[in-house]
Amino acid sequence: MARKLLKAYVSKNQLMFGEKTMRKTKSIALGIALAVGTFTASGAMAATTLENVKEKGHLQCGVTTGLPGFSQPDEKGNWTGIDVDTCRAVAAAIFGDASAVEFTPLTAKERFTALQSGEIDMLSRNTTWTLTRDASLGLNFAGVNYYDGQGFLINKDIGVDDALQLDGASICIQAGTTTELNLSDYFRAKGMEFKPIVFDTSEQTVQGFSAGRCDVLTSDRSQLAALRSKLSDPSAAKILPNTISKEPLGPVVRQGDDQWFNIVKWVLSVQINAEELGVTSANADDMLKSDNPNIQRLLGTDGDMGAKLGLPDDFGHKVVKLVGNYGEMYDRNVGPDTPLGLDRGINALWTDGGIMYAPPVR
Amino acid sequence: MGNPMTEQTQTSNATPSEQDNTGKKSDIIRVEGMHKWYGDFHVLKDLNLTVAQGERIVICGPSGSGKSTFIRCINRLEEHQQGKIIVDDVELTDDVRQIDTVRREVGMVFQHFNLFPHLTVLENCCLSPIWVRKIPRKEAEATAMEYLERVKIPDQALKYPGQLSGGQQQRVAIARALCMKPKIMLFDEPTSALDPEMIKEVLDVMIELAGSGMTMLCVTHEMGFAKTVADRVIFMDGGEIVEEAPPHEFFTNPREARTQKFLQQILAH
Amino acid sequence: MAESTMKPPKKALSPVKWMREHLFSTWYNALLTLAVGYLLVTSVGPLLNWLLFEANFQGQDASDCTGAGACWLFISQRLNFFIYGFYPDELQWRVDAMFLLLAIAFVPQFIERFPGRKWLGIFGMTGLPIIGYFLIPGGTFGLEVVESTKWGGLMLTLILAYIGILASLPIGILLALGRRSEMPIIRGLSVVFIEVWRAVPLITVLFMASVMLPLFLPEGVNFEKLARALIGITLWQSAYMAEVIRGGLQAIPRGQYEAADALGLGYWRKMGLVILPQALKMVIPGIVNTFISLFKDTTLVLIIGLFDVLGTVQSTVTDPAWQNVAIEGYVFVAFCFWVFCFGISRYSQNLERKLDTGHKT
Repeated sequence: MARKLLKAYVSKNQLMFGEKTMRKTKSIALGIALAVGTFTASGAMAATTLENVKEKGHLQCGVTTGLPGFSQPDEKGNWTGIDVDTCRAVAAAIFGDASAVEFTPLTAKERFTALQSGEIDMLSRNTTWTLTRDASLGLNFAGVNYYDGQGFLINKDIGVDDALQLDGASICIQAGTTTELNLSDYFRAKGMEFKPIVFDTSEQTVQGFSAGRCDVLTSDRSQLAALRSKLSDPSAAKILPNTISKEPLGPVVRQGDDQWFNIVKWVLSVQINAEELGVTSANADDMLKSDNPNIQRLLGTDGDMGAKLGLPDDFGHKVVKLVGNYGEMYDRNVGPDTPLGLDRGINALWTDGGIMYAPPVR
Repeated sequence: MGNPMTEQTQTSNATPSEQDNTGKKSDIIRVEGMHKWYGDFHVLKDLNLTVAQGERIVICGPSGSGKSTFIRCINRLEEHQQGKIIVDDVELTDDVRQIDTVRREVGMVFQHFNLFPHLTVLENCCLSPIWVRKIPRKEAEATAMEYLERVKIPDQALKYPGQLSGGQQQRVAIARALCMKPKIMLFDEPTSALDPEMIKEVLDVMIELAGSGMTMLCVTHEMGFAKTVADRVIFMDGGEIVEEAPPHEFFTNPREARTQKFLQQILAH
Repeated sequence: MAESTMKPPKKALSPVKWMREHLFSTWYNALLTLAVGYLLVTSVGPLLNWLLFEANFQGQDASDCTGAGACWLFISQRLNFFIYGFYPDELQWRVDAMFLLLAIAFVPQFIERFPGRKWLGIFGMTGLPIIGYFLIPGGTFGLEVVESTKWGGLMLTLILAYIGILASLPIGILLALGRRSEMPIIRGLSVVFIEVWRAVPLITVLFMASVMLPLFLPEGVNFEKLARALIGITLWQSAYMAEVIRGGLQAIPRGQYEAADALGLGYWRKMGLVILPQALKMVIPGIVNTFISLFKDTTLVLIIGLFDVLGTVQSTVTDPAWQNVAIEGYVFVAFCFWVFCFGISRYSQNLERKLDTGHKT
């Protein structure tokens, strides 16, 4: 346990203070972690996450403090969004009840600590899967529920059709995000220059763009449409086709509990497979009678897929019936009929020209 | 008394009040070889004084002579560093309980009255009896009214100190100290902060109090008061007790040169 | 002193004269008056239009916000969320009950001569938090448990501010006394505590409480984020409170301490009966000032993902279904804060007047 704490602490420092101060903080952290470790070594040996969740009676899921389409409270204070549904699907798989989940709103800075410290059971918070995070934070990414990328929203007046024409543009950015880093990487790689105008919140960024402080606004593509709709004259702005970064977003779990990692990973895979096989929340019950062996395994009418994960065998049926397949989840929260109005694009199934692909349930 | 005492002890007047059965209680304050420093400054030098029960003593001297500091040591508002102070058979040490015991028996009146401005006159008088002596409120208030009558301001009982004149405030301060039924009263220049027309009303109260047999130690420049009331007058200068004598002897035939000089200055105008 | 029946001469002015004296006394005053008047006329009208006359109050969703003015519909649609956060609908009566008790305890404080208002005030400081302690989280007396992660909105703001205020005052008093203590260890500890907490911004305290602290706790020992934030806020606030109160203690003349000593009151009674009542009264403006700033500082819990009233608003103004409702949202938050801070300020003025005994002859 001490090692785990040390790892969590050290990686935290790495994030916060950068590499230069590492050696020093590492030794301090070692001391603290050893002290804490010896102090707690006699404490309760941790049960598995699944056992803990079952005992609590609900899943504790970390989400954003409000990001349209991904996780945001609605009028009644119910959380909605694709990240939220990803959590609900896990709850449905474990309890057969999509509402057996509680949400902890987390800021970007807090999110990994909350997971490391056990405050939440899974993190589904618009989090980009990168090597550093996967390898050094004591975390595991359990899949991708949205392939995002950074894009540009421009003022039509500047007459630009492609990001390569943006040399010398003034660009509105939100401070402290990877967006900022991606932007300078991209411009440096292309040998172009830009004038950054940095704002604190996305709201301010839009206001700045709206007020003409900059010609270009950059953000994740999933948010650009929503931001555009906030402008006083949305038709005067357009989204450029370029995507300058890869942002695979997905649920995250603590490292060291493979069963739990598998559960979260396979619940998402079941949803994607369900879409591929044409199983929806509406026809999930009828599909129980299907003689397609893939569907039988998916819904648990054949085989013991659930048992292998420590779940009921019909967990797939519960997930699809209660939360829906991946396509339903997408359409409900971010699809063309929602205010975000995002086309499936690369998030379409591999069979439809996208890259959404899940390993088979067998 | 095993200590080698000064002659002064023996010169003390006969106590007017009844002697205690044990006999030793007649000396209610004993100060033996007491020294005090403020930092490196030696303020009080080898003071020795014995006060019998019921005795009235006036301490005078030029400013800076240490007389206020001296009586403030007697209820431990100031700490002494060497020697002994024994009040009512309790020695003053660092022990907080001993200090509190002594303070309960010793009333003090200050130059600047120091009434509590957030409490009415009556509440000022009842505060300590109720909280320290644990006397029921009703009883404490009755006693307070008695003393307020004695200092002739019962009609001001429900006012706040800020609404009273200086002389009235000082009389309240005396009543407040008396409400604790102290055995000893200390007066630290009680009239120096008063306008001339108010001095008399305060002195009248003090004279009346002296007549009742209270043990009193007064630091004052009111030589008239000293002449009428005091059993002994003590003259301090430079942190030492220079001279100690009954008033008529003190005023008519001072022995020390410093005393003579002081008396000349003070009686000149 | 004989009472004189003579009154000072009355100074009555006709409106025209008053205006000439106060608004147009010199040419540059006249100019200023005209400029300010022009600004008022041109800005108040549009402001009122936006706030009221052209604002949208009724309807179902964003499409009903057709007028040019504010879209208050956004607020009214989400009022429940802004007030109660995620507190379950069917249990909101508990929060309502606390609001009601809060009103019962403190509204009468503004009404002179309200019978028993002192006792209501004391109830507000003692009974109210105790009732709240049982009622809001539930779990006892057959009340259903509502975890603190579900608290939010105005209710959470009030809980944070109320507990912060209530707990920081006694701790602050103790720290202030400790700092002036003659015992070197106690004084040293108090000084260190005060100086450390005061030198740290609240945002850092909250961040440490929410991000660093869990790493040092053994796995599985999670005491709630809200509790951690509350402890952080309280300790931080009490350091400030201590300094304000120390100012008061220092302003009390030495004679007061000596008089209390001479009466044999002993340390705690001296402080409790004589010194603190005067010192606290003297620093009421300072105390209230820190209360008000604490009340507003509670919004910083946003950075640790607690949804106070500002947090609930901020998390929903980005809803793409509504156009540009940010201004309405922030105006609503500003209004909430103004109501409570103004209330606190008025109450303190009341208190100062009531406690003023420094009558001069």
